[in-house]
Order: sequence, then structure tokens, then C-alpha cells
Amino acid sequence: MMPTAAVIEVPDSTDATIGLLRGLRHGHVRKQAASVAYWLYLAGLTVLVYGGWLVAAIVRAIRRPQPPAADTAAVLRAVPAGLCALALLVIVVLLWEAGWRGPVTVSQPTADWLLDTPVRRARLLRPRYRVSILTRLLAGAATGLVPAAVLMSAGLGRGGTGRSLRLAGATMLGTALLAALGTGMAALAEARPGWRSWRAAKLIAGGAAAGAAVVAALAAVASLPSLVGSVLLWSGPWGWAAQAPVALSGGSAPLWPVALGLLALTSAVAVAAGDRAAAAVSASALRARARTIGSMSAAVANLDARRVTAAYRAMAGGYSRVRFMLGPPLRKELVIPWRDVVALARAPSRLAWAAAVSLAAAGLGALATQAPRSGLLPLAGALSLGYLAAAGFCEGARLDADDPRRSSQLPFRYDRLVWWHAIVPCLLLAVLGGIPAAALAAAAGKVRLVPLIAVAVLVLVSGALVNAYRGPLEAEALSYGFETPFGSTGSITVALWYITGPLLSVGPLIWLSYHAISASGRGAVIGPVVVSLVLAAWLGAIATRRARRLHAAGA
Amino acid sequence: MIPAETAPLLTLAGVSRSYGPLQALKAIDLAVTSGQCIALLGVNGSGKSTLLRIAAGRDTPTTGQVRYDGQVLREDALAARTEIAVVGDASSAYPDLTVREHLLIIAVAHGGGARSPDLADAALAECRLAEQAAALPGWLSSGQRQALALAAVLVRPRRLLILDEPEQRLDPTARRWLGELLAREKARGAALLLATHHVELAEAVADEAIVLLDGAVVGRGTPDQALAALR
Repeated sequence: MMPTAAVIEVPDSTDATIGLLRGLRHGHVRKQAASVAYWLYLAGLTVLVYGGWLVAAIVRAIRRPQPPAADTAAVLRAVPAGLCALALLVIVVLLWEAGWRGPVTVSQPTADWLLDTPVRRARLLRPRYRVSILTRLLAGAATGLVPAAVLMSAGLGRGGTGRSLRLAGATMLGTALLAALGTGMAALAEARPGWRSWRAAKLIAGGAAAGAAVVAALAAVASLPSLVGSVLLWSGPWGWAAQAPVALSGGSAPLWPVALGLLALTSAVAVAAGDRAAAAVSASALRARARTIGSMSAAVANLDARRVTAAYRAMAGGYSRVRFMLGPPLRKELVIPWRDVVALARAPSRLAWAAAVSLAAAGLGALATQAPRSGLLPLAGALSLGYLAAAGFCEGARLDADDPRRSSQLPFRYDRLVWWHAIVPCLLLAVLGGIPAAALAAAAGKVRLVPLIAVAVLVLVSGALVNAYRGPLEAEALSYGFETPFGSTGSITVALWYITGPLLSVGPLIWLSYHAISASGRGAVIGPVVVSLVLAAWLGAIATRRARRLHAAGA
Repeated sequence: MIPAETAPLLTLAGVSRSYGPLQALKAIDLAVTSGQCIALLGVNGSGKSTLLRIAAGRDTPTTGQVRYDGQVLREDALAARTEIAVVGDASSAYPDLTVREHLLIIAVAHGGGARSPDLADAALAECRLAEQAAALPGWLSSGQRQALALAAVLVRPRRLLILDEPEQRLDPTARRWLGELLAREKARGAALLLATHHVELAEAVADEAIVLLDGAVVGRGTPDQALAALR
């Protein structure tokens, strides 16, 4: 075709183009369908083999509902707010997904080859939106099984199999309609990416979900005025979705058919609005999302969690960054700590998150020391949160491990950098988690635990460094292992690859700390402290060995 | 009133682009008319690709305005999709479709109808990809993939060509052919906006060259004049 200086008018070839593409890709589509069927079969098999007991429990609960127990009344009081919290959570998840993926997506080749043509966008995008609606309806319905099972196992919804089935149906219908509503809203959000209200809506819905969960907890332990429940149940679609299950559980929601009707109507309006909006999603947004999904799929195929997160962060805009300046250090030994401080200070949201987790760990730790005999669970929680905080503070080490070339000009051996990278995380975890935990322990008259808290900081940071330097997963990792009647043990190899750090640090620490807390006398702490110090040194050595291997692979 | 044939097809007025604290483009003015080629020259990171993305409607300027054929440019507008052909970064491809089938889709989508197979074959011959017609994209070399991107432009109607370093990955012979191809496009009335590191290509094709440095214009004029600023 010749270029021209005159205005170009072309006939609408949308149907011809899509028909041609469909015809040419017939074999590929068949292969894709076969692949989807295979994965569905695998998922079904996994559910049956590993979750068979859960399915059997749900079926048993439907056929022979549990008799009311001592806590049945408390569960019933918590049901309205609890179901509202779950419903709001469904909406939050869908709005979050709208920010980086959304229900309207095209593959990267389609983005690169068809979006620049005069093919009608509506014809290209609406079928994809409708498939999203269908899959999310099904996923929503499946989600509804969870609260139904909880309610039935608590002895609610009794009155024969029919009533149990109605309760299960009501929760499934409610969550399915909410999923449709959320998908419609997500399509609207996708078509207007610059509209800040959507971010606000996500935050408000998240806050409301947390608030509803708190109300549910309060309702379970103390009787709240019935007005609170009524207000929640009529406060919006989340409440309307909860009304039928509440009524069928024996709670008070006499107008539940009206609420269900309202929910169905709202969902239908949202789905229709989303259908219109789907055609208006911009080419730029579709291209960016296609790129993200392509990168994520490749990372998932390589079981590379770090790259999955990086692809998501790149699309979602990454952590909010600030212009933090800190004069360069005068001594070469301070270069790495300086770099770690600058990296953390320039992404304050990550720092704030890790700080909050550190404080939560200190709080849970205090709870564990209050009731030593029953403190295993809070202790495990405290140390797990402590590990997460340490991992957050070790971002500088992770960045170094992502690309060893970044540090190739430094006057240090690459594997020695591991020890320098431990300084800032240890200080931060000690200040934000260790000192509050020590203060709480001292206030409870457990001063003897302070040395243990101090070495726990070292162990957790060493464990986080072990994971930071794990490097990319080897392509053939899944083939390591042997066949069993339940499948290959290769998946265990992969899981171990990802959890080596927490497994080797948090696991032994729980055991050591539990014994130190349970035993009385100053001497009972000395053994765990010494063993923890050895453990920290050993983990540091593992991290160093991993760093050496990474450097050798990159050289 | 400016006669239609000399009125600019694409106009950028006071266009700037900032990414947070980084100002990638600083108040750029530019106008391309039919049958004219403007070359953008400059070192890596000087703002050439940002300017081309804005000119193609794929990015929104922080300030200023882009007009195409008198209208504010919107990438999703039918006129832009019909008339503006962009050759940018190496694009992805359908892994199960052959080179010829890719071109066929573009030709059909742009209303080629029954002429589409002929258009695809002509473009394959022009871009020296005839022997690779039945090849899958995964089998192509990077230079052949670049040739495929250029062939995709030839099977569709176009009034404006936006080319971001089209010489990349092409061997010297193919670069000479590219120069001839762009000269033919210009002679046939297309407007060209070309970012390149290949000075000979700019000298051979461009009527005007703009040298960018840190997002600002530091040289402008005939390719020779602008290149003097670059040196």
C-alpha cells in the first residue's frame, strides 16, 4: 500500500481480521484448551488427594449438621459483621487487581499487533471482559463455600440437608454476585486509570473490612446492640450479600429477599457498566498490563518469586519514593551500611511496614512471656513476624544479590559484603523490635530473657540474609527428587529453596526460646543464648557461601 | 490560510515531559508536513524515544500539545490507528503464526481485503524476507525481526511514519536498503519522524534534523548544520 498525503478511509475489517486470526490460531487455541483442561484435572486431583478430608467434612456438615455447641451463640452474633468483612475483602481484592491487571487484558502479541489497527476495540475487548465475569462468578461461588462450611461446622443452619444446602447456596450466591459487582467496578477502574477515587475506594473498602472484622470480634465476646448488625446489613452490597446467610443461620434478617434482589440489581448494573467501559480501556493501559502479565508469567514459569514481585511493583508504581540525601561516608567500611540506609530511607513505606511488623512481633513476644505454658503459638507468631521484619530491612542485601555486578567495583570481596549488609538490619530490628520486646519482658519481671532477645535479632537477620542470597531457582529444580504415589518430591525441593532462611532461623529459635521462657532461673537462658549465637554464625556462613556461588555464577 | 498540502500533519507545541523530578523533555516545538522527514539525533537518554512516544500518542506530555491533522492527538482515535505507523522497540509476535501470516493480519485489519495476500508478498519481497515467509518468529534473527517490523508498515496505509532507531540490528547492506525505502516513502508523500544514531541515514533522508541533549533542543537545521552542533 502506498503512503498518501490525503486522509485515509478504510472499511471496517474487524470481523474479517478476528475471523482470520481465529482460523490461523485454531490449532493453538485447541492446544490451549487442552492445557487448561489438564491444569483443571491436576487442580481437581490435588484437591481430592490433599483436600479430600476437607471436601468430606463439608459434605458431612451438609448431610449431618453439627449440633449447637457452647460457642454457637457467639458465632451467630458475629455472623453479620463477619460476613460483611468477607464481602468487603472480596471487593478489595478485585479493586487491587484492577490496579495492575484487571478483567480486561490482551496477550502481548495482540497488544503489539492489533491495538495499532482500526479493528474495533469493543469487538476485541468485550469477549475478554465477559470471560473474566464468568470465571470470577465461579471463583466467587467457590469462595462462598468457606463461610458456609464455617457456619455449618459451628452448628448453624440446622434443619435438615435441604436447609444446609440453602445456606451453602445463599453464601455462594452472595459471594458470586459480589465478585460480578467487583469485576464490573474493576473494568470501570481500568478504563479510567488516572481516577484517584479508585485508590481511595480500595483504601476505604480495606478499612471498612478491618472495621467489620473488629465489630465481629466484639460481637462474639460481648452482645452488641442489634442496631449495629442492622446498620451493617443495610450499609451496602456487602451487607445485602450477608443477609440471606444470616437469615438461614438463624439470625435476624427478615427482608433478606429484598437485599438479595438489590444485590443482584446492583451487580447487573455494574456488569453492564463494565461491559461498556471495557471497550474504552486505552491501548497504553492494555500494552502496559500485557507486558506485566508477560513478565509475571515468565517469572511464575521459572518459579522466581522475586521477579514476580518486581513485575507487579513495576506496574503498580513501586514503593513510594522520597528524595532522601545522606552525605557519602568517609570510611570505606561504611559504604554498604550507608547504601542500605539510603535504600531504606528512600522507600519509607517499606520501612514503615517493617517497623510495624517489628512492633507487632514485640507485642506477641510479650504475650508469649506472660503465659509461658500456652505461649508457643504467640511465640511462633512473634518470631515469624520478626523474620518478616528482618527480611524487609535486608532489602539492600537483596538488591546486591539480584545483580552481583553492582558491587563489583567495591574494594571488598563479594561474599564478605554479607556481613556488612547485616549491620543496618540488626540495628533497626534491635531498636524497633528488640528494645520494645526487652522493655516488655523487663516490665513483666523477665529481665533474664533480654540476652536471648538480643541474640534472636542476630539469628533472624542471618536467616533473612540466607534467603536474600538464595539467587534464582535452577531451571531443573523441579526434577530433583523422586516419584511417590502422591507425585514427585521435586515440589518439596522448590519449597525448601524458598523457605531455607525462615526454616533454619525461626524453627530452632521457637524451640530454644520456648524452653528458655518455660524454664525458671537465670541459668536456663545461658544454653539457648549460646546455641543461638552459634546458629547466627552458622547462618551467616551459609549466606556467605551462597553469595560466593552467586558471584561465581555472575563472573 | 496555509494550503492543505503545506499545513503540518503533526505539530508538537511546547511539549515537555517529566517523570517525577526528572525532566525528560523541555518545551519542544516541532512540525512535520507530508513528504518531509525530520530526524532526531542525540546521545542515549537525550529524550528522542520519549519525544517519539508522545508524537505517537503513546505518552501524554506534562505540558504542551500534540496535534495530528489539526486535531488533538489521541492514540486510540481511529484516525491515528489508521494513518500513523510506528516502528519502535522489537515487538513480540504470535509464536504459532508465520511471518507471512503476521503481515496478512495487519493487511486485512487495515482494509486490504482480497489484496492482502499480494500486499504481504510484496512487503516480504521488499524487506528481503521472502525466504522466511513460512518461518515462525522464534526462528528469525534479530535483524530479520526488525525487517518484519518494517514490513508490517508496508502492508498498511500510512500518512505518518514514526521510526525509533529503525536501523538497529540491521547489517550495512540492509541499512542502505532502509535509507532507500525511507526516501521512497517520503517521495510518495508520507511524513517521517525518525530517531536515529546512524548519521548517514539522517543525512540521506532528513530535510531537517534536531539535536537533543538532556531533553532540550541544542541544534536545529539541515542535517549538516545540526550535526555540527552534535559534534
